[in-house]
Amino acid sequence: MKRLIAIVEDEAALRDNYAAAFTREGYAVRTYATRSQAMSAFAARLPDLAIIDISLEDEPEGGFELCRQLRALSPALPIIFLTARDSELDAVSGLRLGADDFLTKDLSLTHLSARVNALFRRVDALRKPEQEGDVLRRGPLTLDTERMQAQWDGKVVLLSLTEFWIVHALARHPGHVRNRQQLMDAANVVLDDNTVTSHVKRIRRKFQGVDPKFDAVQTVYGMGYRWVE
Amino acid sequence: MSLRLKLLLLGLLTLVLPWAGCRYAREMESALREGEQTSLESVAETLATSLEGRVDLLYRAPAGPEAQDSGALLKSGPYDLKPLALPAAPLVDGYSDDWPRDPSAWAWYQKDPAHRFGVLTGVFERVLYLLIEVHDEHPVFDAPGASPLEPHATGDRIWLGFQDPGGTERQVFLAATGPGAVTGRYIETGEYGQQLAQLEPRVRGAWQLVPGGYRLELRVPLSMLGTGFGVLIDDRDARGAAPVSYGSLHPDDLRPVGHLIVASPELTTYLAQFSQPGLKVSVATPGGQVLARVDELKRVAELASAPPLIARLYRRFVDEPGTAPAIEARVPIYDREHRTPIGELEVTQTPDRWLRLRDRALTHMLNFTLATSVVVVIAMFAFAAWLALRLSRLRQASESALTREGLIATFPDTGARDELGDVARSFSSLLGRLNEYTGYLRTLAGKLAHEIRTPLTIVRSSLENLEAEPVSDSARSYLERARQGSERLNAILQAMGAATRVEEAIGAAERSRLDLVPLIESAVAAYRGAFPERRFASELPAGPVMLEGAADLIVQMLDKLIENAVDFSPPGATITVRLLLTEEAAVLEVDNPGPPLPSEAPGRLFESLWQSRGGGDNRPHFGLGLYIVRLIAEFHLGSASAGNLPEGGGARFAIRLPR
Repeated sequence: MKRLIAIVEDEAALRDNYAAAFTREGYAVRTYATRSQAMSAFAARLPDLAIIDISLEDEPEGGFELCRQLRALSPALPIIFLTARDSELDAVSGLRLGADDFLTKDLSLTHLSARVNALFRRVDALRKPEQEGDVLRRGPLTLDTERMQAQWDGKVVLLSLTEFWIVHALARHPGHVRNRQQLMDAANVVLDDNTVTSHVKRIRRKFQGVDPKFDAVQTVYGMGYRWVE
Repeated sequence: MSLRLKLLLLGLLTLVLPWAGCRYAREMESALREGEQTSLESVAETLATSLEGRVDLLYRAPAGPEAQDSGALLKSGPYDLKPLALPAAPLVDGYSDDWPRDPSAWAWYQKDPAHRFGVLTGVFERVLYLLIEVHDEHPVFDAPGASPLEPHATGDRIWLGFQDPGGTERQVFLAATGPGAVTGRYIETGEYGQQLAQLEPRVRGAWQLVPGGYRLELRVPLSMLGTGFGVLIDDRDARGAAPVSYGSLHPDDLRPVGHLIVASPELTTYLAQFSQPGLKVSVATPGGQVLARVDELKRVAELASAPPLIARLYRRFVDEPGTAPAIEARVPIYDREHRTPIGELEVTQTPDRWLRLRDRALTHMLNFTLATSVVVVIAMFAFAAWLALRLSRLRQASESALTREGLIATFPDTGARDELGDVARSFSSLLGRLNEYTGYLRTLAGKLAHEIRTPLTIVRSSLENLEAEPVSDSARSYLERARQGSERLNAILQAMGAATRVEEAIGAAERSRLDLVPLIESAVAAYRGAFPERRFASELPAGPVMLEGAADLIVQMLDKLIENAVDFSPPGATITVRLLLTEEAAVLEVDNPGPPLPSEAPGRLFESLWQSRGGGDNRPHFGLGLYIVRLIAEFHLGSASAGNLPEGGGARFAIRLPR
């Protein structure tokens, strides 16, 4: 059975383009223009993945509300924010509401489907029993690349998809400097330098939430970042 | 001329007040003077009326047959003596230096040019004083030791003939055996008909020789004397010789021919009732001989304390010097029939009285007006200073309102309810509107980018979908071009929105204590790897340079400066990164060889979306790099500046970071 992707987007042309792209990739796609449409449909059947715009028709923050409701219905459902709004504040609020990723609309369709695929892979991995082979261990850090889950000292650190990929890119070769471009490539995103910086900052903060002495992500000024064991 | 000076000059105009006050005081003075004159005249008039017909009061009451004939007293004959009213008693010593020098007061008697004498008479406190000067080529004294009645011993003699208050005719003679004190004597006929010279001790005097004659000074109490009075000289050229007799006594019986015209003793008492300080009342004969006077002119000065310095100062500039004469009123005193004048009354008042009045008014007024002027001038000056302060504050505010990055919204002095306040308010609202507009312009790029993003995403996603469709090869090249175009459009949008994101990121940054030196060292090392076709030199201080700041941002700032330096320098050029220390700041400099900066204000280089130097590649340039540099410098409370290196050596960007 095809996986069902729900696209909640008020811009009809964009909605149809995304729908066409995902249909081509072999997914079933349902599109909704408003929060109420989407919610009534979700009440009947939950999709396998939801792509949500923040501003929906007459609700400028409707996407956030939808995300909250959807997360209440299903804690594990992958949710991606895809929006024209690119402010730090929106990204933080979106991720805090439990979205798995926060993407801006200048992301290409190819990148978008790469992320969707990754998220589905994670869902699949979470369903399967744990396998040792796909786990990367660096000291206290454990990265389950299948489930895209990070642990520090055995405690789960909740990372967004982008953040997970950045940590993964850094931790795979400890001591090697990864510049911003490399991190962006690894995360399948096009971001400007400051966004990379704030991603790194968020990553540090999340790890520090588990271990206040966390200091494994180091800045190499003028070059980038590296993982230190 | 400053506003302050102008208002000060305006304030000085109030000095017209004291000037007008002085003018007014002068007017007032003459009015006062006229009033005083009138009142003085009426006083004199009243006084004269009260004395009308009072011959008895004016003159010594005549005795005897003449008692009823008051007219006789007034028919002043050539032999009448009119004594002066003396200011003080002369010392009876035969010298004339304590007598008034008044040649017209002398009465002269002459037999022939060789025989003449003058009499000067004066009264003080009911005593008659006489000064008799006799021209005599051969003054002869009586023989010493001999009886004055011995004919052969007799020398020059002076006879006083008068009627006593009872009307009896009496004669007193004066003879001397040498210069010195003399006492009057009279001849008494004894029991047996013999003649005796008796002393009259009430008549005393002094005899002195003077060049060309002799002088006798005498005092006679007026109580001895009646109306008639005369002096007779017996001039002998030798002792016992026949005398030459002349004077105002009948030569035969020594009866007085003239009268002694003396004010009655009551007159002075009468006049004294009217005396008051500053006033002189005098009564004179119709001929002008003063009979009595009460003079209290001087008492004013004694009574009034010396005028205060300030009043004297004021007086100086009101009075023309020497224009304060006393005022006087002169009125004749008539007899009962109101026909013939029996005397003349003169009342004099010192100017002091009204001068004092005027001075008091003047002082008050001048004090008041000068104080007013001073207050006005000070107030005007203060007001001008305040205005100037407000104006200069307004000027400063308007000068600093337009900062490099835009506008400040705060504008002082907007609470005042006057025209300046209005100006400030309209400035403020103007600036506010300008600020809004600038803010709108500043966010326009971001808003535009945001608005364009959705349609652009539609275009791009459509193109991507189209690529998945079967398209002919020729169409595919168009597709590829459209895709490239949309990618560039996307890059432009990214850049346009970047400023806002950078501002957000900078605003959220956290400061910590950091050392600039290793930070820059590691960054420069990184640039050597990142830009292999440029050389990098660094000039850093030996010690640590501690600073409160965000390391990420400082490196980002350096990144942008280096990117800028790389963009505008030829391959192989050496880019110099320098850190200098001053007292209160660290200065980061980046030098690059290459074209000079555009001639526009160097500050504009650091503005958002400002680009005038052409970069070498096709990437869209929005001047964002240097704008970010400025934002980061300002986040660290510092500033960014740019300048050309000497001799066209390239450009230098300097960032000043306070420590």
